[in-house]
Amino acid sequence: MKINISTTLNDQTLEASVYPNQTLLEFLRDDLSLKGSVEGCGVGVCGSCTVLVDGRPVSSCLMLASDAAGKRITTIEGLARNGDLDPVQEAFLKHQAFQCGYCTPGMIMAVKGLLLNNPHPTETQARDYLSGNLCRCGTYVEVLAAVKELAGR
Amino acid sequence: MRRFELAEPQTLEEACALLSDDDDAKALAGGTALLTLIKHGIFIPKTLVNLKKIGGMSGIDYDRQRGLRIGALTRIYDVESSPVVGEHYPWLAEACHVVANIRIRNMATIGGNLAHGDYQSDPPTMLVALDAGVELMRREGTRQMKLSEFLLGSYETALEPGELLSALVVPPPDNWRGTYVKFTTGSSEERPCAGIAALLRMEQGVCRDLRLVVGAVSPRPVRMHHAEEFARGKEITEAVLQTIGSEASHVVEPIDDLRGSASYKRHLVGVLVRRALAAVIH
Amino acid sequence: MALVGSDVTMVGGLAKVTGAVNYAPDLQFPRMLYAKALRSPYAHAKVLRIDAATAEKLPGVIAVVTRDDLDGLNPYFGPVVDDQPVVATDRVRHVGEVVALVAGESREIAEEAVGLIEVDYEKLPAVFDILEAIKTDAPVLHAQRKETTAGVHREEFNFQVGGNVCSVYHVEDGDVKQGFQEADEIIENTYTLPPVQHGHIEPHAATAYWEPSGKLVLHTATQNPSGVQEQLAQIFKLPENQVRVIVPLVGGGYGGKTHARLEPALALLARKARRPVQWVLTRDEVFLTGRRYGAVVKIKTGFKRDGRILGRQVEAFYEIGAYALNGPVNAKTGCYVSSGPYNIPNRSLTTYSVYTNLPPTGPFRGVGVSHVCWAYESEMDDIARRLNVDPVELRLKHLVRERDIFVTGEELTSVGVTDCLRRTAEAIGWKGKEEQAEPPKKKNLLRGKGLAVAIKSTTTPTTSSASVRLNADGSAVLLTSSVEIGQGLLTSMAQIVGEELGLPFERVTVSSPDTDLTPYDKSTSSSRTTFHMGQAAQQAARDIKNQLFDVAAKKLEARIEDLELRDGTVFVRGVPDKKISIAEIFRTRFGSTVGSMFGGYCFKTTGGLDPKTGKGKAAAFWFFSACGAEVEVDIETGKVRVLKTVAAVDAGHAIHPKQCGLQNEGSLLSGMGSALFEEMVYDNGQPINSNFLEYMLPSMEDHPEEFQSILVEIPHPDGPFGAKGVGEAALPPVAPAIGNAIANALGGVRIRDLPIKPDKLIAALLVEKEKR
Repeated sequence: MKINISTTLNDQTLEASVYPNQTLLEFLRDDLSLKGSVEGCGVGVCGSCTVLVDGRPVSSCLMLASDAAGKRITTIEGLARNGDLDPVQEAFLKHQAFQCGYCTPGMIMAVKGLLLNNPHPTETQARDYLSGNLCRCGTYVEVLAAVKELAGR
Repeated sequence: MRRFELAEPQTLEEACALLSDDDDAKALAGGTALLTLIKHGIFIPKTLVNLKKIGGMSGIDYDRQRGLRIGALTRIYDVESSPVVGEHYPWLAEACHVVANIRIRNMATIGGNLAHGDYQSDPPTMLVALDAGVELMRREGTRQMKLSEFLLGSYETALEPGELLSALVVPPPDNWRGTYVKFTTGSSEERPCAGIAALLRMEQGVCRDLRLVVGAVSPRPVRMHHAEEFARGKEITEAVLQTIGSEASHVVEPIDDLRGSASYKRHLVGVLVRRALAAVIH
Repeated sequence: MALVGSDVTMVGGLAKVTGAVNYAPDLQFPRMLYAKALRSPYAHAKVLRIDAATAEKLPGVIAVVTRDDLDGLNPYFGPVVDDQPVVATDRVRHVGEVVALVAGESREIAEEAVGLIEVDYEKLPAVFDILEAIKTDAPVLHAQRKETTAGVHREEFNFQVGGNVCSVYHVEDGDVKQGFQEADEIIENTYTLPPVQHGHIEPHAATAYWEPSGKLVLHTATQNPSGVQEQLAQIFKLPENQVRVIVPLVGGGYGGKTHARLEPALALLARKARRPVQWVLTRDEVFLTGRRYGAVVKIKTGFKRDGRILGRQVEAFYEIGAYALNGPVNAKTGCYVSSGPYNIPNRSLTTYSVYTNLPPTGPFRGVGVSHVCWAYESEMDDIARRLNVDPVELRLKHLVRERDIFVTGEELTSVGVTDCLRRTAEAIGWKGKEEQAEPPKKKNLLRGKGLAVAIKSTTTPTTSSASVRLNADGSAVLLTSSVEIGQGLLTSMAQIVGEELGLPFERVTVSSPDTDLTPYDKSTSSSRTTFHMGQAAQQAARDIKNQLFDVAAKKLEARIEDLELRDGTVFVRGVPDKKISIAEIFRTRFGSTVGSMFGGYCFKTTGGLDPKTGKGKAAAFWFFSACGAEVEVDIETGKVRVLKTVAAVDAGHAIHPKQCGLQNEGSLLSGMGSALFEEMVYDNGQPINSNFLEYMLPSMEDHPEEFQSILVEIPHPDGPFGAKGVGEAALPPVAPAIGNAIANALGGVRIRDLPIKPDKLIAALLVEKEKR
């Protein structure tokens, strides 16, 4: 039996019907075709599925879609406004903090979460917060450079 | 994920009733551990009882006389970042901070963490050192229990069928200095190979009280009563630290797992205990 | 140069930072179904009976394929040996082997259906350990070797008959027995490496459908579309123009997505289902689909007290899993470099690829080279310690140089290894012999520095074809079957074409692979793309340039030698008012500014080795690298902290230096993970850490505090603008550099079995303590 939920997604209110066993990640990708959040591991470790729930990063692969009820969800698709990139996205571009790009949206959302929590993190704080987002291609140095610039503002 | 139904009770009583009446129902808190197990086919519940709609189950209250009371559904991150925890039990904040990653800490609940009984976890070790207690509720009524008695083994707790962990109680702190050390043998992001919780109360260079717990190496956190006895009333010299470390090393009964062999863990515990205490003193 | 050698803005960034990239798992097609596999729970078993009747009747299940659906196909395939069945036939040879594949209206339905398929197995004895597998009484996985007819396979091997040794490779120089006789000292050791994961965050994913005309279409995350196309054509007995392979941006490959993996079974299922079917693996399934082979490397070295290495004998056994994939290639590629980038007069090098009842392997960043490098570079430091000489000096004495003859008998060109080593030593602050001094006593934290070098070949001979299409407005498209896996080819290829055609960077686009449109490329692997596809692209662009010059020369009444192409215009050198734009050239040639001009080029490298002697030409280009590491070892806990690493690679000529640096960063991280903690663990063939909770990739916190990437540039005469490849270069020397740093920190305590986890270190220190 489907569950009706009312949620706010990327600043838009949304009424939806979800299955009990549907994860938020599946809901975003399958029902809403928001493919920016991706699955890398399914167990909350790699962070490629990171979205913000009420401003806090979570692993959407381990969150039930029904738990989105009454929450404010932000995905990578919701960062840019009217075609203007978010400063985090700008910084990633400037520092070329990506290679294959698969982990990039999750990494960006984690950085967004970090800065919402702490606008001027030190490198130690940034590393500590972001260490739960994995990248195999090798972009950690560039991501930290982007964060350093953002933290300096 | 396999199909299941979702029940969303509004009260704790309702939740307990649902769990009592249905053997195939499981309580869902943060979901980070449970959903992982369901995805791997280790649990195949017919119904998940989502506790998160129940009011009054999260929140942190502090009182000088009674200490901390933490609602079971309080997220680990909220325990970690709570001002009262930071002020009065900073070592508990430390133990929560090293759990997994920020996303998991935003989702997982302290009650869920304790009820899951994963031995490779950090908060239980420190909470046992703090002599924490748990409040358990079921249809028949509530009961309290020491956390150290609640945790029985690897993924094994004293929870009865139809029973829920509703709150965590931590006695008032006692002028301690303390630390929590999480040691990993692989990536920094791994679960702990060993966790050391140490709380020390010193007066004029002499140890008045010691709480020492070793976690993650064996199926339940182990309180080092003998070492604590030994330390009380003594000046904590290098020699005393060696003895305590050695004692801890002998007392633990570590198990082999992917993080390390039993013999390595035995050796490691001695080293980490000694260092944790040295760090607290200096 | 305008573009080549600059850090131009990397292509595709905007889509990546906005989540707008459509990777293979993101694609959706009308009426698409979802696939789920039934996998063997046993490592080795006969498949007695499969009954999918109940599964087929489940509402929402559209089709199930098993061995009963293989009629009319060539059911076995592989890039070197045709030993891998599309789905299991008479037996299964590893835990996780696909026995059936279900297509359902939803993932959930497909998964439920999988649970309803009944299979009866009869367990067979299995073998997992390399050295057990080569014994004559070991259970045999494949009774014979049927070499593939696939054109992708242009190399030759010594296949073995009977037993589990798939192939043997051997090459020698001089007389190693003599060398050992003349030596003052001989050391002999065995090194081991476990299997590890590629770790691409995007799992394997593909969608297949058959057009009503009977044409097969695959949208798949693969590193070699041409190879997959050929394999599918061979399996389904179709001409290649009836098989179309399309590749979106790939979320990381590192070799794991090379060769047909999901595609054959998926195509079979899609044909039966008559609808598009998508198959995306879960992370656990990725562990069952591809990995790096484990290995046992036995190495014996004879040397004189004056520091000359006289002889080296290496025997390496690579465990390639249940199906060969490119196992023989890996073993061969490791063979001739197994004595290192050194001039050693007497050597005997032998490698074996060995079947075991473990999941399949395949190419992995660094191929079989990391394994032997782990051995020969650890030995090098041990020899230096024995002789009380500077490990760097010892290496410099023996390193190959420009025009040296290598063990394969070929002359080496573009040899940057000495530069790599010197610059690495400098960057790491190498002090010389004293780096191997006795460590201070009574300290718990000991620091040490270590270095290592490596040599690797690029697969040779191979072919890469490129086609460039120039539009009338002076913009161009490069049509290539090379795959953007994150290495940045969409950028570097555009730089090459833009440089050749004198076009601004924004006016050159690189296509994604589509075998209907893009010409043949062997694969995006072996660090070959910049060199091979880059050369093909440059020559294809030159072909167009020549066509433009032909028209311009006539129109401007000038000699071709005096023409220059810049900013979309052809100029006559020295005569500024004599010029003609590309648009005008089109008008001249076609009557108006419409049409396309094509340039094409097929770049073939020649060479190859005689399998009997191991001699010939192994590499169109060699790549060289060095790694330096500084570590801090906690001798009480065994924990190793990597403080600083330096990766130096010989890039020939860096087309995009920043991208080269990024590749080095990835190689370093991967190497570090396999050095210190990455390890796939099995229990009787059953993987026990097949998820990212139990098998962790290096995190930001694990990353060394300091990392420096150095690009040495010794141009290669055959590379585009002198460029070579760097994708894998930095990886092989990482583990030995870290191992050497640890050994130097500990006064020579040597771990020979990867990964160097804390408990191993403590055990080794205990043994050392007892010895003293």
